[in-house]
Amino acid sequence: MPQQIALNVNGKSHVVEVEADSMLLYALRDNLELRGPKFGCGLSECGACTVLMNGNAVHSCIIPVSAVGNAKIVTLEGLGTAEGPHPLQKAFIAEQAAQCGYCINGMIMQAASLLKRNPRPSRNDIKQALNGNLCRCGTHMRIVRAVERAAAERVSE
Amino acid sequence: MSAKSNDMRSTAEGALSRRDFLRTSGGLVIAFTLFGPAGPAGAAESSPADAAQPSLTPPPAGKLYAWLAVHPDNSATLFTGKVETGTGVQTALAQIAAEELDLPFDRLDVVMGTTSKTVDQGPSYGSMTVRYAGPQIRQAGAAGRQALLDLAAKHFGVPAQQLVVKEGTISVSGSPDRSITYGKLVDGKRLNIDIGASGQQFGLKVAPNARPKDPSTYTLVGKPIARKDIPAKIMGRFTYVQDVRVEGMLHGRVVRPYGVEATLVSVDETGLKKIPGFVQVVRRENFLGVVAKTEWGAIQAAAKLGSTLNPSGPEAGQAKWSNWSGLPKMDQIWETVRNTPAVHSSSAVSKGSTATALASASRTLKATYKTPFQMHGSIGPECAIADVKGDRATLWSGTQMPHETRRDMAKLLNIPLDGIEVRWFEASGAYGRNGLEHVVADAAIMSQIVGKPVRVQWMRWDSHGWEPKEPPIVQDLEGGLDSAGHVIAWQHHMWVPTTGDTHLVAAALIGHPDVTGQTGASGRAPVRYAYNFDNAEVTSHGEGRVGLLTAWLRSPAQFETTFAMESFIDELAAAAKQDPLAFRLAHLEDAKAIAVLKAAAQAYGWESRPAGAKADRSGKPAHGRGIAWVNRDDSRVATIADVMVDPSSGRISVSRVVVAHDCGMVINPDGLKNQIEGNVIQSLSRTLHEEVAFDTARVTSLDWKGYPILRFEEIPDRIDIVLVNNSPEHPSTGGGEPSTCPTAAVISNAVFDAIGVRLRQTPFRPESVKAAMS
Ligand code: FES
Ligand code: FES
Repeated sequence: MPQQIALNVNGKSHVVEVEADSMLLYALRDNLELRGPKFGCGLSECGACTVLMNGNAVHSCIIPVSAVGNAKIVTLEGLGTAEGPHPLQKAFIAEQAAQCGYCINGMIMQAASLLKRNPRPSRNDIKQALNGNLCRCGTHMRIVRAVERAAAERVSE
Repeated sequence: MSAKSNDMRSTAEGALSRRDFLRTSGGLVIAFTLFGPAGPAGAAESSPADAAQPSLTPPPAGKLYAWLAVHPDNSATLFTGKVETGTGVQTALAQIAAEELDLPFDRLDVVMGTTSKTVDQGPSYGSMTVRYAGPQIRQAGAAGRQALLDLAAKHFGVPAQQLVVKEGTISVSGSPDRSITYGKLVDGKRLNIDIGASGQQFGLKVAPNARPKDPSTYTLVGKPIARKDIPAKIMGRFTYVQDVRVEGMLHGRVVRPYGVEATLVSVDETGLKKIPGFVQVVRRENFLGVVAKTEWGAIQAAAKLGSTLNPSGPEAGQAKWSNWSGLPKMDQIWETVRNTPAVHSSSAVSKGSTATALASASRTLKATYKTPFQMHGSIGPECAIADVKGDRATLWSGTQMPHETRRDMAKLLNIPLDGIEVRWFEASGAYGRNGLEHVVADAAIMSQIVGKPVRVQWMRWDSHGWEPKEPPIVQDLEGGLDSAGHVIAWQHHMWVPTTGDTHLVAAALIGHPDVTGQTGASGRAPVRYAYNFDNAEVTSHGEGRVGLLTAWLRSPAQFETTFAMESFIDELAAAAKQDPLAFRLAHLEDAKAIAVLKAAAQAYGWESRPAGAKADRSGKPAHGRGIAWVNRDDSRVATIADVMVDPSSGRISVSRVVVAHDCGMVINPDGLKNQIEGNVIQSLSRTLHEEVAFDTARVTSLDWKGYPILRFEEIPDRIDIVLVNNSPEHPSTGGGEPSTCPTAAVISNAVFDAIGVRLRQTPFRPESVKAAMS
């Protein structure tokens, strides 16, 4: 049966009415009407649904809402604002790192989690961090360049 | 969201609320400016029942308003029946229009695809958008500029020749105080001006009398302008078709047959009512689906009926299917293809006598090349929303052919065309005909049955299992060399199942397979023969469906035929102990082909030596280089790559790729480079990894584990791109596909160069590399 469950998303608390064993992705997309996290596989195989949970990148398609508790969830919308985009968002725009863009949510969220752990990643670190994220358009070269750019700009700030 | 209407009539009525805006403009996706106001989350779309729409018929191509609207704030909207599929054509077409209109680029919005707002310019496929729609839009833009000048001439009472235009403002030459903006001039009116049009779709000629600009004066076309759609995509503010929400909609999921042509025996609904939000089972003949108030409810209900990743058989779920197993055996697929009778054979060349020349050759070579079923594999599974009520239907879709989809849905739903509107929203990249055309039909049938708007998104296994595939192809080649190492005979036979089967899965399931679509067999050989061998015979045996449903995937069949011909010429070069570049050049007259090969070689730093001359057979990791080229619908591309082969693991890694690309005048060089990089990576993936597996009942590659694609750890270190003949005297040809074609041959040739082993069957997975070595 659906329950009222509190979620902390993008710095605000929300109450969603969902089944406890339903996945976080659907609460974010259907109940909170967010568009950053995407349904790609529902099997933890592609990364399209990635969000930050207490700062770590996770696949929201396999996280039951009941397992979220009071963890802080951040989605692509909450990473930066139109006025103050996140350095990764600025870098992805500067590198024009998207074709269809469907995978890009996952790329940016995964990279955000990487840069937090490792502010000066090597190219190899970036490839390893993003290795579980699939892009079918073949935007990989630009995505890697964008993460490198964001890291460089952060360090020089 | 910039609340800019695409409809002059409503703009004239003054400021609109966001809601009204959506009602009048229908399905408009607007590029957000990075620092502009962001729209509310979720695109709340109205349903047609409460929208009083005057007409759902596409506007007439001979009227200026069919292409252009000018708004009071001196911005404008371009309307085009073409759609964005991630390739950047929205930006390229906007550059062409803004250029002709003398309008700042950021003042031009683009409305794409929605059938009641745009002219049918043909589907957005085959690398044909800039080539064919570009000139149509250029003429419309030039006609628009002329019309605005005529209005200004009247306004100022001076001849049009005395007027100058700058950035959307017209002034009288010599008196800068006498000036007026386009917006003021048009004053919120619809541009009801005849510009003339004839022909249809790709052959449509628009505004034949308009005089476009002299390309030497271009300020926007040819510039690497940032794509309009990217900021919103990066900020999480873009509305994909997967994000559209319609008031009162239900969530649907399909439950496909276990075997491809299995029939539905029974449906046991026990327990479905207990699923929260469950509404009903939807069934029409063999078409089965569920609808629920929540996505989760629909997924749970579909799972109970049997829609899961690994169902164990036709009776695994509560829906029971007949035991169908009519597919060919996977390990016999190429024999099956070879033995399937041709529907249409075509010849690319027939010159001299190949048989006689082969008989007199001092050396002959023979080889067979095989390529498997491959899939589009969009990261976002196909999704559509349909609202069908009586003889009205609104369809929210990301199809690459909205106008075609509208006509198809009229037939499928048996509703007059006038009652149907397709509102186009971009989807996850499709690279051809994936399931986007099919999911609309699924949603439409469900909505027609339940009488409410229904959103259907395929599950990952629906997409992998049921999207139309690229067909398996088998090719026999035979060549003869004379004693000087010159090719005197070339014979190439290919067996190619259709890449144009447009039947809708749902139509077949409801028992009307032929209500829309057709099985197309290739009407011409999917190869551009270009060498000047004295004796040559190139024949394509075009077939109907063989096994699985197949339709076009990026560079349909030509990716495969280029693999065979450009690998086999390498085989001949190696047999003649000649440098593979020099060998190609010695047998070519096509000046553009020669130019891209030379440009690639120069950028790469090519040194002449026979292929395989340094092949390392010691078992240590070995390096090699490969070259290949293609003519895809008049675009020429030459590619060179460096690979390393590790004989102990069988792994191939690609370190550097150089591409020389000639598609004539490039509208947006950065957009094109993005496309070329994408083509290279995707085709590397198809070369190294991709093969759809199936048993005699169904596809068994149902997720990314079963159909692996290239990952970050395997990308090249560099992709260097050289643009050739990028100037106005060379008309634009296509850029969306050509650079896919050479890749498999390049890698096969490079592997041969590295270890002296020839790979003739894709994918080149480690186990097949090792098998070829032993
Ligand atoms: S949708 Fe979650 S990993 Fe693919
Ligand atoms: S940009 Fe299309 S899937 Fe990555």
